[in-house]
Amino acid sequence: MIRRFAALAVWLAAFGPALAETDSESIDFASQVRPILSDACFACHGPDEESRAADLRLDDPESAAAVIESGDASSSELYARLVESDPELRMPPPDSGKQLDASQIAILKRWIDQGAEFETHWAFVAPSRPEIPPFEQSAWVKNPIDAFVARELDSEGLSPSPAAGHRTLIRRLALDLTGLPPEPAFVTAWIKRLQNDGEAAYQDLVGVLLQSSHYGEHWARMWLDAARYADSDGYEKDKPRQAWFYRDWVVDSFNHDRPYDDFLVRQIAGDLLPGATQSDHVATGFLRNSMVNEEGGADPEQFRMEAMFDRMDAIGKSILGLTIQCAQCHTHKYDPIEQHEYYGMFAFLNNTHDAIIPVYTDSEQNRRDHVLQQVAREERLIKAAIPDWRERMHGWAGEVSGRSQPDWTPIELSFLDRTLGGSKFLPQGDRSYLCQSYAPTNFKPQGTGTYHGNRLTGLQLELLTHPNLPRSGPGRSVDGTWALSELTAEVALSDSPDQATRMKFSRALADRSPPVAELRPRYGNKKNSKRVTGGIDFAIDGDETTAWTNEVDTPQSNISQTAWFEFESPIEIPEGQHAIVTVHLAQRHGGWNSDDNQTFNIGRFRVSLTGDAIPEFDPLPSAVDAIVRRPPAQWSPDQEATVFSHWRTTVPEAEPHNEAIDQAWKSHPRGTTQLTLARREDPRTTSLLARGDFLSPVEPVTPHVPAFLHALENDDAPPRLQFARWLASEESPTTARSIVNRIWQGYFGVGLVETSDDLGTQSAPPSHPELMDYLAVELIENGWSLKHLHRLIVSSATYRQSSRLTPELAERDPYNRLLARGARFRVPAETVRDITLAASGLLNRSVGGPSVYPPAPEFLFKPPVSYGPKVWEVAEDAQRYRRALYTFRFRSVPYPMLENFDAVPGNLSCVRRSLSNTPMQALTSLNEPMFLECAIALAAKTIRETPETGDGARIRFAFQRCVGRDPSADERGVLTDYLQSQRTRLENQSLSADEILSSGALLEVGDLDADELAAWSLVCRVLLNLDETITRE
Amino acid sequence: MTPLNRSRRWFLRDCGVGLGAIAATQMMADPSMAKSTADPLAVRAPHFPAKVKNVIFLFMAGAPSHLELFDYKPQLAKFDGTLPPAELLEGYRAAFIDPNSKLLGPKFKFARHGQCGAEISEILPHTAKIADDLTIVKSMTTDAFNHAPAQIMMNTGSQLFGKPSLGSWTLYGLGSESKDLPGFVVFSSGSKGPSGGNSNWGSGFLPTVYSGVQLRSVGDPVLYLSNPPGVDSRAQRDALDAITQLNEQHLSVTGDPEIATRINSFEMAYRMQASAPELMDIRSETQKTLDLYGADPDKPSFAKNCLLARRLVERGVRFVQLFHEAWDQHGNLVGGLKTNCRDTDQACAALVQDLKRRGMLDETLVIWGGEFGRTPMVQGGGNDGRDHHPNAFTMWMAGGGMRPGATLGESDDFGFNVTRDRVHVRDLHATILNQLGFDHTRLSVKFQGLDQRLTGVEPARVVREILA
Repeated sequence: MIRRFAALAVWLAAFGPALAETDSESIDFASQVRPILSDACFACHGPDEESRAADLRLDDPESAAAVIESGDASSSELYARLVESDPELRMPPPDSGKQLDASQIAILKRWIDQGAEFETHWAFVAPSRPEIPPFEQSAWVKNPIDAFVARELDSEGLSPSPAAGHRTLIRRLALDLTGLPPEPAFVTAWIKRLQNDGEAAYQDLVGVLLQSSHYGEHWARMWLDAARYADSDGYEKDKPRQAWFYRDWVVDSFNHDRPYDDFLVRQIAGDLLPGATQSDHVATGFLRNSMVNEEGGADPEQFRMEAMFDRMDAIGKSILGLTIQCAQCHTHKYDPIEQHEYYGMFAFLNNTHDAIIPVYTDSEQNRRDHVLQQVAREERLIKAAIPDWRERMHGWAGEVSGRSQPDWTPIELSFLDRTLGGSKFLPQGDRSYLCQSYAPTNFKPQGTGTYHGNRLTGLQLELLTHPNLPRSGPGRSVDGTWALSELTAEVALSDSPDQATRMKFSRALADRSPPVAELRPRYGNKKNSKRVTGGIDFAIDGDETTAWTNEVDTPQSNISQTAWFEFESPIEIPEGQHAIVTVHLAQRHGGWNSDDNQTFNIGRFRVSLTGDAIPEFDPLPSAVDAIVRRPPAQWSPDQEATVFSHWRTTVPEAEPHNEAIDQAWKSHPRGTTQLTLARREDPRTTSLLARGDFLSPVEPVTPHVPAFLHALENDDAPPRLQFARWLASEESPTTARSIVNRIWQGYFGVGLVETSDDLGTQSAPPSHPELMDYLAVELIENGWSLKHLHRLIVSSATYRQSSRLTPELAERDPYNRLLARGARFRVPAETVRDITLAASGLLNRSVGGPSVYPPAPEFLFKPPVSYGPKVWEVAEDAQRYRRALYTFRFRSVPYPMLENFDAVPGNLSCVRRSLSNTPMQALTSLNEPMFLECAIALAAKTIRETPETGDGARIRFAFQRCVGRDPSADERGVLTDYLQSQRTRLENQSLSADEILSSGALLEVGDLDADELAAWSLVCRVLLNLDETITRE
Repeated sequence: MTPLNRSRRWFLRDCGVGLGAIAATQMMADPSMAKSTADPLAVRAPHFPAKVKNVIFLFMAGAPSHLELFDYKPQLAKFDGTLPPAELLEGYRAAFIDPNSKLLGPKFKFARHGQCGAEISEILPHTAKIADDLTIVKSMTTDAFNHAPAQIMMNTGSQLFGKPSLGSWTLYGLGSESKDLPGFVVFSSGSKGPSGGNSNWGSGFLPTVYSGVQLRSVGDPVLYLSNPPGVDSRAQRDALDAITQLNEQHLSVTGDPEIATRINSFEMAYRMQASAPELMDIRSETQKTLDLYGADPDKPSFAKNCLLARRLVERGVRFVQLFHEAWDQHGNLVGGLKTNCRDTDQACAALVQDLKRRGMLDETLVIWGGEFGRTPMVQGGGNDGRDHHPNAFTMWMAGGGMRPGATLGESDDFGFNVTRDRVHVRDLHATILNQLGFDHTRLSVKFQGLDQRLTGVEPARVVREILA
């Protein structure tokens, strides 16, 4: 059978005309020949130059011509080597582990005999709209999907299965589109409408479900697996992180049917779009979902590179559907991706900071706007009250910038490794140091530098912001704050380096000194000693329980700051000598657990020294200081505003307004943080790395894309944005196909290409290639609307078929690749939980927000199961009943119920989950506390909401809530017998109702008869454990 | 026989093809393997006759100091307090310390033990007694020097997360001989959990049925093993019967063999509820055996886990891995090692002795080791700590077709680099698979277009020198 699609570029081999074989014996290159060549030959005779043998490429017709006599296998070297008896000469060589069987050799022989025609791999040519096959069974066909399916079925002599019943279809649609089972009343109502209005009602039903906000929640899960979303860092520390804004952005994007191309562009480069909004920054969380290793001693650059590789892998799997990560270490063995092309794509992504920015919900944003308006209003009032404010401010600027200031010399420091506790202080090129990797909660780093001059009078410490710090820092706490418990210093002279003098400070000055405050609970150290924070004096009071801090509980915490420390007695440095200065920065205000987010350390700092007199006035905030040093005429409006905001604090008339402004700041929302990408002004050099080793750069690489894919459109946009648009281009041969295939996989359990993570030459051949192209083109031509695609698929007759498996089909097509029946499979882990919650009536349907902590065994989060102790405060309110999408995801300790049902931990991109059926699942659904709680809740609901008191009605009620249909007489019989036997045991007290109901301690069921509720709870437990309950039929 | 029963029997016998099985068979690189089996955990024949049926991996997480335990370096003692030769440090990266830190001599005495004369530290007196049963490899080397990546490396062959673990590969290749216990079991003891988290025993891209299952030696041994409050064993059986009847009825309607698999899963879960507590109850062991291990039935301990490992292997569990995360002696080298040896030495030796006297050691491979070694250079001001060191470290194996009493490999005078018979983690993996009957180049799975295998694409060799 010939499968050649219109889109396929066909290369005639350069040697002789192809035989015009059209009979059923004819060999198809794409489906029959390439898989053999690719698997058995390409490793040595393929794209990878480094491993290529005999200078022969069998992926390239010109090179292959050397060993192929077109039309005559028997005189072709290729064939001769396949049938060679001498193991030294036979191909593939025995030590390759590859072997061709007789039928594979026969295929290659026939292919050569028929002219050895090569074709470009189907997935490397952009899809074009295929001709829709004429359909004979027109009564069955609902849309073109069915025409493609029917043609295959016809050719196999099979017929489609009849449509599933309305009841089944309603539950199927609800589970597929929203991940939640339909309420029984919903089922009843829609059965009636389907009976009356037929197709129109079906379309309405699809519309209703697509409009549900639960649609976005359900399909977000697919993308979040691919985006390796998790709520923690991974690796050893596996600290909690805030990334749920990204999760909600995905949900929201699906719900608003954000065009898929736009959806991609924003995730790769949303921050670079003109007028980028908070949401656009949040979208870049996609790339930032990589794991972060902050274990002691970890080299930040090594793990930044690991994260870069992970980002590339995620782009390959989730967007391109190609195994590009293979080219990280060497040119791809099978697909034509050269190693330099891998690093060419890498280079587009390399110039980023790993930012952690503050983000605000809508209501927080409103509050924030209100605060900013208040501040602006008060500042306007000041200006109104001081008509000559500008002149006075300029005068002030001239005065303060004219004051004599010390000449500070920044000092290069070398740090004593054992005082760093495994953290890394990275020099930033300006003699400042960025503290990265492990973050101790209690340490006293020591750095030593030299000072050349003739006297030493004081020391300057600058705390500096940096995009890689939380909320830009300058601290490393989750709020970007720091606390300096004590600063001490010793000075020695170079002629007597061992005779260091401990310096005494006469005073210290800072641009900001917050009032004394107690530590937040986050920083509790499980000791009784009281620790406080406050102003600059705490840094030199000889008491490490008091600390100078930048924490003022507003966004104003997150600015660079300056402090000056005056030596009580200056050090005179004799001619020919220099001073050796050692600085200790005690930071002892963090919490007890350095494996959690309890650090309160400085994130970036610079130490400078001077021999000049230390002024009497406080240093200006560094931002203001930098502006006032320039003439006011050169100030931008923003800079003027910055100066004004400081100047007004020096003006007595402004005092009431200043107070009002301080008050306003106090009501500024705290917000949340989100991991995002930020543009790096100072570009990194990207190099091709030998074997992917970051310590082995070979040569610099500039941003470029693989030649075998579509071209990149060069324009003025920043490179990463160009790359994003390239990925999302309609010219891309794999982008649309890849997502179409994965959505199909969601409906049928398996994609049209089974290897949904790989559409390359090693992929499984598509079951319906033209259907795949049809869907891809439909997606692109309908504005990349995913909802359009969903509607198209679920409207097909193919989708609506009954999933009943006849013995004939079980034999002919056990994996349902021909689609002669509907799919039947156990729902994903999250849906298992959601069905249970929904059936019980406990489900909390609220959408979005921080991740939640449903019940889980405490020991999982404690050593020796977890590396360090983790916080898991079980929700005892309605948060307990949120959809599983919102369950907090620790990478190293996955939520056990979800893990047992094959959820993935988010350690790397996953586009195809395993689907298992195990005893661990049975133990979970039988015994896990939430299942029991749900059983009791369902029992209570059943008793309360069934007006008739007969057991039959109640059984029907509960049964419907679990599986969406009425029980058969036999099923009712089983349940009635079971109910009776449990009642009897409860009556004769061989079972205790109180004990059984203890699993529902949080439920309000005191009004119900305990024995009866317990009996029904056991019945409901049986129902929640049925295969059908957790299966989409 | 009713039609319903007939259909059930037919499905259970002939059609027990669950999705897990389908996933597994679809992934089998060897098509003959795919056709011969339906149950993903069915016992399968390896490539060639296996030397061992079971593996017990005593994973000393945190990385024990080879210099204090097995790799005695008199020269290191001699040069204690001096800086290491500059050429040694070329290109060397250390996790915590400035590599140019002073050398620190071994903190404990060593003596030769057994007929083989293996040099073993004074803090391992029990291990010393079984010296003639051990095969010691002093020339181990790895690629990673941070805990999480190195543990993942040792357990999955790659520093990157997401690859199948050694135990998963074993189960995938051989299936499970236990019908009422998981085929791959994991315990955790020590002061912390393993740095690599549960990716250390994950199934990666293999079907999830091949993941390790964590057991606890106190409380519920398996998560959700106990019936819920108020549900006694009869109530559980009643519920199971009702579930099974209803599932069977639905099976007869839909014809989906997946339902038959689920019925089987529930039955195995039920059996596990009985067998796991029996397994965990070590009171049935003689006092002599308890004393041999130093195991207290009422307390969780590494010793108890060792005894349980033997009991698991006895019951057909294929792969048992004990994590004891306690060996990260950046400081308190002397005290920490003493504590750790007190906690593990006796039980490790007891396990080997116990397996031997029961005739099980031939078919069981016991492996002892951590994710890397420790620097000969000192860490910290107190002369009492060592940093992470990937270049050279020591592991030992026992039983399982290893050459007893053999020592392979050498490191240099400072225990810094391997100087003879280097054994990379990949070589260790190739050797373990070899003992299980597998050619490591052929035990593979097609994933992402590649024949993925435990030993990856870099060269790896079976270390034949240590095979009996």
